Amino acid sequence: MAKLKLALYWAAACGGCDVAVLDINEKILDVAKLADIVFWPIALDFKYHHVEAMPDKSVDVCLFNGAIRSSEQEHIAKMLRSKSKVLVSFGSCACFGGIPALANLTTRAEIMERAYIEAPSNENPNKTLPQTKVSVPEGELTLPELYDNVLTLAQVVPVEYFVPGCPPTVDLILKVVNALATNSLPPVGATIASDKTLCDECDRKKEKKMISRIYRTHEIIPDPERCLLEQGLLCMGSATRGGCGALCVKVNIPCRGCFGPPAGVFDQGAKLVSSIASIYQTNGKQDIEKMVNELVDPAGTFYRFGMSVSMLKRRIPQKT
Amino acid sequence: MKKITIDPITRLEGHGKIDIFLDDAGDVANAYLQIPELRGFEKFCEGRPVEELPRIVPRICGV
Ligand code: SF4
Ligand code: SF4
Repeated sequence: MAKLKLALYWAAACGGCDVAVLDINEKILDVAKLADIVFWPIALDFKYHHVEAMPDKSVDVCLFNGAIRSSEQEHIAKMLRSKSKVLVSFGSCACFGGIPALANLTTRAEIMERAYIEAPSNENPNKTLPQTKVSVPEGELTLPELYDNVLTLAQVVPVEYFVPGCPPTVDLILKVVNALATNSLPPVGATIASDKTLCDECDRKKEKKMISRIYRTHEIIPDPERCLLEQGLLCMGSATRGGCGALCVKVNIPCRGCFGPPAGVFDQGAKLVSSIASIYQTNGKQDIEKMVNELVDPAGTFYRFGMSVSMLKRRIPQKT
Repeated sequence: MKKITIDPITRLEGHGKIDIFLDDAGDVANAYLQIPELRGFEKFCEGRPVEELPRIVPRICGV
């Protein structure tokens, strides 16, 4: 088999997805046998103009991580789409917006103000903000436009596969590598993880116990054997796709939903609300009010990794 | 003035771009480093419960 041409890119991301690829350890040698890497900013010195010069569809597979929150990221996403036969939305930021999409609870103007003017480490008396074009004595400098809205890769270009996770686990990455090596990729549109919920792969005891209070994580030390939700902790397992091996839950920490909604679930937050509603003991309106008050930061919790694909999408900015 | 653009800066975590301006003699007149990216942790961490921050801020840099 001819060697595959592989590209990897990061948009609005932390670099964790790129490092996760290296976490496959010696298996990276299999990748090297299988593929020539033609673009990978974190590891190799290829520039945008090299990618631009590549013929269309000359890249066999592109693993694209990171959300889209600037004109540059959108441009590179479109460029890599036209250069690649198979485009993989890799990691939770590319698939659902991820942590960067929490910015949809604010606005670009508020972010700029905080980061460049208010932050105590700044000294910016003239309140200078980044501009897309600026003249300097030697010529002109340009910057991409920062968008108000953080988008997923698939909201910008068509995508063949989705690999969720913040970051995707080694097992899932090896699944992708093996599928490429044996030319056995699933049908287009597939999510490479479990089709069931995280609760299905969590081996904690579920006793169908009702709860009368929601706890914040620092308020109790949970029993390591019993379901966290049934102990009153907001565990997103029932609203989250399985495939991580219940990593957080195994260390007594409630799931925050980084694998996104399971197959057939339209909205992760709505699904979790229905799970909570089914186990919260209420005897009337005042209990419901109590429950609502116990939910601190529902939007930032239910959509911790999925604001871009949620029903909410973003906070509606106040008209000025 | 001739401009050489290095974009992106590679083999590090994060996004960066360098513009180097050359004078008529071909010497460097000036160079600018720009960071073409901002995610906004400074702002979007506000309003999140404090006990959740240890699970949010590691995504500033995952390298
Ligand atoms: S809610 Fe959490 S702890 Fe309970 S079964 Fe589901 S994943 Fe496990
Ligand atoms: S337990 Fe939940 S938050 Fe943790 S890795 Fe798995 S899907 Fe992600």
